[in-house]
Amino acid sequence: MSTAQTLVDEAVHEKIMAAAEEIKAWGEAAEREARDLVNQPTINNWLEAMGLESDRFHQGEAPPSMAQVWTMYGQGGRHPDRDPLHAMMNVLTDAGFNGVLGTNSEQSYDRYLRVGEQVRVTTALDSVVGPKSTGMGVGYFVTSRSTWYVGDERVATMLFRVLKFIPKVTA
Amino acid sequence: MKAGDEIPVWELPITPTLVVSTAIATRDFQDVHHDRDRAQAAGSKDIFMNILTSTALCERYVTDWAGPGVQIKGISIRLGAPAYPYDTLSFSGEVTEVADGIATITVTGAVSLGAHVTGTVRVAA
Repeated sequence: MSTAQTLVDEAVHEKIMAAAEEIKAWGEAAEREARDLVNQPTINNWLEAMGLESDRFHQGEAPPSMAQVWTMYGQGGRHPDRDPLHAMMNVLTDAGFNGVLGTNSEQSYDRYLRVGEQVRVTTALDSVVGPKSTGMGVGYFVTSRSTWYVGDERVATMLFRVLKFIPKVTA
Repeated sequence: MKAGDEIPVWELPITPTLVVSTAIATRDFQDVHHDRDRAQAAGSKDIFMNILTSTALCERYVTDWAGPGVQIKGISIRLGAPAYPYDTLSFSGEVTEVADGIATITVTGAVSLGAHVTGTVRVAA
């Protein structure tokens, strides 16, 4: 592939794409339970910070875009060893692509969560595309797919894309 | 809700308190969202808004317009210029399509450097 050859050493590119295929094959991995049940105090903090006022979020429902909040790692949280997104980011960091920039978040909600529900999440590596020449520098777009469940019911999904890049040297 | 409906512009002043309180409320403790020294050491001008908040503010913008009964099916955003304190986040939006029971609302949140967030919010029509 001529673009790969001109932007990134071919051997490095081949190694990155081989790692991507291996990590993709893990499928939905890094399953984690939310630290807390969906709960009113956390909803209230979010409503206050965002300035969103809605009675329904005081009557048992949680704002849909909070789906991701419940399974955030929190302060000092550690990623599991086989977290597909971070494993792929580490591969790229080790290859010199040490810059990171979130570029896209695509969330879909099957339904609103309810106070008292226990949420869990899985993460899969969806795609690695590159190398691309971008305004930030040469890099690869890494897309992961998170899926949230309550029990066996899927409640939300997210495609999340980051650019891992070699920062341009600024004058 | 019909194609062509425009959502009134909403201007939100970005304060350090907004950036920090929303980062913590979304349980995002990355230092670039609350520690200016660390943000600047990482090459940023200042602390900046986190992605979960950019998504949440799209939720708020559409909810404030459509009413609390709105059923949001999805929020897809592309991120552009960072949202720094002392700037203003100016939201504009329009219903671009209503089909198969879903209204697609195109939303842009602009700062002085350009579009901070562009995306779509899908709601039950």
